[in-house]
Amino acid sequence: MTKRAKIWTGVGAYLGIGLLLGLIVGSAGRDENFQPQNEFRLDVWVDLPGPFDITKGVVYVIVAVAITVGLMIYIARRMEDKPNRVQTLIETVYVFLRDSITRNNMDASMAAKWFPFIATLFLFIWVSNMIGYIPMPVNTEHPITLFGIDFPTFQIYAATANLSVPLVLAAMVFIGYTVEGIRAKGPGGYLKALVPAGVTGPMAGFIFVLELFSNILRLISLSVRLFANILAGHLIILFMAGGIAVLLGIAAIAWLTLPLAVILFIFEIGLIATLQAFIFAILASIYFGGAVAQDH
Amino acid sequence: MLDALVIAAEGADGGGSFLVQPDVGLMLWTVVAFAIAAFLLQKFAFPPIAAALDRRQNMIEESIESAARTRAEADEVLAEYRERLAAAREQAEAIIARARKAAETTEQETIAQAKQRREELLEQTKRDIAAETRRAIQDIRNEVADLTILATEKITRKTLGEDDQRRLVEEALAELDFTALAGDAGSRN
Repeated sequence: MTKRAKIWTGVGAYLGIGLLLGLIVGSAGRDENFQPQNEFRLDVWVDLPGPFDITKGVVYVIVAVAITVGLMIYIARRMEDKPNRVQTLIETVYVFLRDSITRNNMDASMAAKWFPFIATLFLFIWVSNMIGYIPMPVNTEHPITLFGIDFPTFQIYAATANLSVPLVLAAMVFIGYTVEGIRAKGPGGYLKALVPAGVTGPMAGFIFVLELFSNILRLISLSVRLFANILAGHLIILFMAGGIAVLLGIAAIAWLTLPLAVILFIFEIGLIATLQAFIFAILASIYFGGAVAQDH
Repeated sequence: MLDALVIAAEGADGGGSFLVQPDVGLMLWTVVAFAIAAFLLQKFAFPPIAAALDRRQNMIEESIESAARTRAEADEVLAEYRERLAAAREQAEAIIARARKAAETTEQETIAQAKQRREELLEQTKRDIAAETRRAIQDIRNEVADLTILATEKITRKTLGEDDQRRLVEEALAELDFTALAGDAGSRN
């Protein structure tokens, strides 16, 4: 058997067993009330004046900030000349942020000025993503009732799985690099620099509109890339860990999907969480560098 | 809060639109939290880390430099040592050569001296023999003179003046050839 044949046989067997299980066990009826996406709804936990209600997302943002700041300051105050493993990891991340992400994409003065922002972006998104994979009793959508009290059930949630958080971060990046670009080239010069050098005549006008749009669309691309990746990761883990079984009413199918959930969980926590933080930070850095660069 | 409830109700109705609907409250919280995080990190976390990294880098640079310096010094010392060693070897060779030369010279001198000494001794001996011979001849001559005087006295019974007689003998003797004796003595040497 060739490698390809083995793979297709495996996939076929997997689907076949799934179908068979469905036929044998049968559906206990589709659960129409189960809305998995509602686990990501921002239910108001503490009602505060104005828009400052404490929701699940707010708690996650605050916890992420607390962990980011706490961890970094804890490490920073115990910097040794001979580092231990944690310090080495933080140092590696710091040097990577400083050299590969910031200094590679900006000139020295810009890098010095914006490094704290870019570094905070990366660290905050990274910590947010990572704690987003720790199951926490924050699921008030599907509570469990004991002795007449509703206890929240466990779920994996992430602040970055909500559009609002990445959108705000993207907006900060957008405003930041636009201000820097205008400061470097003047308002007219900044807009003019949107058109690549060498493009002239009526084409320049067309390209200008296109570039302007793509510039503004960075807000969406930057935020949705992060949000959608994390939300999709959480949802697919949720479905594989039992969501599909509940929706279809076939409990036995969870035996097949659960291993996938584990694999996806490892994939998400091992790669996606860091990768998305990295992509967000490096794109932000590239945007900053591009905004002040003389030749577009 | 009415808005939130409305959105929640809509969401519960089956849609997922709330997922892509920005929440103003969360956005504001994020801005505030992020700003605080950035401020605290910039103030308390990044400078010590940067300082520690710089310090380590300096330390590494210094160690490398000091290692290079030590190496250079070692090289220098080694070169000097080698130079000295070579000089010492040269010196030693020179000393040995000189000693050998001196020994040879001394030997030659000694030989020459010995030769000279021998020749001197030989010369001296020759001279001594010659002197002895001369003296012996003189003695013989004197003896002959005295005997002749005595004999003449006995024969003539007449005594000439001592001086006259002697003068006569001397004259007679002078006519005699003693050279054969001397020559004999000379050839013996």
